Amino acid sequence: MRPELMQYNFDWMMAKTLDAAARFPMGTSKETRLALNYMPYFQSIADTFYTAGDPGMQLLNLLSTYYKNILNAHKNGQKIAATTFCQSPAIFYALDVVPVTFEVLTALGGLVWKRGLFDYMDYCCEIGMTETSCSSQRGAMGAYLAGLGEEIDLVVCDTPGVCDTNANAFSFAAAYLDKPFFQLNYPSSLGDPRSEQYHLDDYKALISFLEEHTGKKMNYDRLATILTAVEEQDDLIAELEDMFMLEPVPMPPIFNLAMYTGRFTFCGHPAFTRLLKSMLEWARELAGQGRSGLKSGRENLRVYMCYIDHYTVDMNFWNYLDERGIANVGSILTRNFRDFNTYTREFEGVGYSLDVSSRDAMLNSIAQLNARLPMVRSIRGPYDQPNMWLEETLAIAKLCRAQCIIYNGTPGCRNTWGMVKPFAREIENQGYPVHIMYGDAFDDRVESWEATRERLDEFFQVRGLL
Amino acid sequence: MQAFLDAAAVIENDAVKAWKQAGKKVVGYSCSHLPPEVFHAAGILPVRLRGIQTEGMEIGDAYFGPFICSFPKCLLQQVGMGQYAFLDGVVIIPGCDAMRRLDECWRKAGNDHKHIVPGWFDYLDVPHKSEGHGLRWYQTELQHLLTRIEQYFGVTVTADALRESIDTYNRGRQLLQSLLEFRKRDNTVVSGSDVFAATVAATVLPREDFNRQLENWLAELANKDPLASNTKRLMVVGSISDEIDLFQLIESESQAVVVAENLCFGVRHAGGQVATSGDPIAALAKHYLATSICPRMFGKYKERLALLKQIIDRYQVQGLVLQNIRFCDLHGSENGLFERDLEAIGIPCLRIEREYGPLTETGRIKLRIDAFLENLD
Repeated sequence: MRPELMQYNFDWMMAKTLDAAARFPMGTSKETRLALNYMPYFQSIADTFYTAGDPGMQLLNLLSTYYKNILNAHKNGQKIAATTFCQSPAIFYALDVVPVTFEVLTALGGLVWKRGLFDYMDYCCEIGMTETSCSSQRGAMGAYLAGLGEEIDLVVCDTPGVCDTNANAFSFAAAYLDKPFFQLNYPSSLGDPRSEQYHLDDYKALISFLEEHTGKKMNYDRLATILTAVEEQDDLIAELEDMFMLEPVPMPPIFNLAMYTGRFTFCGHPAFTRLLKSMLEWARELAGQGRSGLKSGRENLRVYMCYIDHYTVDMNFWNYLDERGIANVGSILTRNFRDFNTYTREFEGVGYSLDVSSRDAMLNSIAQLNARLPMVRSIRGPYDQPNMWLEETLAIAKLCRAQCIIYNGTPGCRNTWGMVKPFAREIENQGYPVHIMYGDAFDDRVESWEATRERLDEFFQVRGLL
Repeated sequence: MQAFLDAAAVIENDAVKAWKQAGKKVVGYSCSHLPPEVFHAAGILPVRLRGIQTEGMEIGDAYFGPFICSFPKCLLQQVGMGQYAFLDGVVIIPGCDAMRRLDECWRKAGNDHKHIVPGWFDYLDVPHKSEGHGLRWYQTELQHLLTRIEQYFGVTVTADALRESIDTYNRGRQLLQSLLEFRKRDNTVVSGSDVFAATVAATVLPREDFNRQLENWLAELANKDPLASNTKRLMVVGSISDEIDLFQLIESESQAVVVAENLCFGVRHAGGQVATSGDPIAALAKHYLATSICPRMFGKYKERLALLKQIIDRYQVQGLVLQNIRFCDLHGSENGLFERDLEAIGIPCLRIEREYGPLTETGRIKLRIDAFLENLD
């Protein structure tokens, strides 16, 4: 890594940037405008958040708080756990552990910094990781492995068998830093009693691990409070997710990002509830007026991102959707598969429910919730098996009346690149135009945004979509 | 010895042909986490799936994406070319992300290339943890697999038959252990290429044949002269390999001899015996999962490093070749950690990223091996 980068702590810089961005609008508009001059590369990003009104500000505050929690964890006597986006943070909050979710921080760094997190990604390779490892972890993880962040105390992931590349990154981090490591892993099936029991047994082992390495016992009253908050959040999410079925979608593209970023960082936390309420209020108002959430107010196309969204650099992808009048009806990251959600009814027995009536019920609830997080739910087994990726994609595309489906990931995503070609052919056979993006959601160097944009435009044009 | 080289050199070797001509069944499997004993006990020949003899990649590339390791692609290529038409069944095991997707890619390729999907196409869900509920899950998976074998092939597999198969395989493991003893000597009498060929042959020959051939070879080795004395003693570690020619490349010009390896096709389980008392399925589960040293069992780096150190000491290894197939992040990244920790205690390491299959990079790899050997001086 360049020596000058080693002079600054990654999490401190991010916390300060986001904190400042969240505070600027508290002044007059002139003060805000002048203050933004001190963040030249972040101006347009900050503006995207500001334009999204109260929900945008709530999101900025939430992200700022997330970083501040990391910076203050050790001072507050809390342990820090490095973890992954498909591991619900609710369990960490129940055990008073501060999560550091590498993928979220990498995406955020890509959105906020002019150069993205490329230097940190490369650092991981300098110390031994393969350059073909997934960029989503390598970004923020590189900073922490370089000692440019608060010390990680333990590492928890839940992707072995679903995304080995992801699990491998966390396993590498634990070995490199010599920290305790725990992995939840999932069978290839979902919804059958044997798999559900495995989820529960595995989750109990996770709690034992966390208790051992934090010196804290599970506080079930606290868990009940968190799950009750999750219950409220799930209700709000269900209504927001239904909004994706409306024509036009009454939400700006950034709401999609906000929904899952909030869930990956503050599930069960009041800050996320506030964000959801704010988003819902905004969306209801637009829905009542029959208006699109896009800047232009006109929806030209409805796209379903069947895997993940695109995060490099300067929010280019999000702004592109807005400019072209494209409604993003969600991605694999958007849906939570709560049992009462509209789309969950398409998949019998695969949703989760919450029950706080006893300790066992709570443990089972959170274990099953965790097993329904993105990727670990529907990419755990062969894509064409019941309840897996193909069925999920087609059901959601149909419900949300998507006009085309786009695959976007990272070259590190072995589990989807292993079958995305036949997967795409089957979707095409169902009548949906499919575009496979060959770039990297977190690393512009793989394919520049300009090239990505050209290819998207070409796809929309050739297939007669725009 | 030649029998092993011959058996390892082609996908459908003479023993497989003879087995089929006798009207018996053959099943392919994709990973070392499957106990071949369960097929042996059913009178079925288990054959490890391999991607050798590949001459193109148009079929592999048509189904797998571009960022996928060349091992499953070569394998699918050979499947699509009809090289595995002799199989009566196949079991896919989720050894890693790329290998588990062989399941879909093979089945979907079957829509375009007729008769390449055997009548029995199965999937064994192997967990990533080897204790407690992980082991219980795997044991149940094996039990279910056995039931499916019985149902599809119309056979009955008794516990006694399983124990007999375990005995037969244990005998092979003992013999392989005896073979390894020759490698420990100061002046070894056996090349790494030959030993590796024997271990690969072990996965594609009827076990009784293998045991008999190995016994004969061991008798020959007892009277064999040592190899050249000035060779460097190397160990090969990393991604899956069944490529005898890779070993031959390393050992060419007699500058080096491979005295140990830690590879999926190598002698990882040699010496370890499956318990012959009690429930045979439980014994197989314990052996094949609990002793697994594959990096797919995440979080066990320290155990794997300790094992490498043990092997390095035992076989007087002077240098390690840490190789990974491009896009094999599990081995590639772990090789990075091995390099850090082994170099720190004075053990030279060479990291190589390469492609599986025909040695298209022979020159580059040879150059790097030679430079490494020079450094060992």
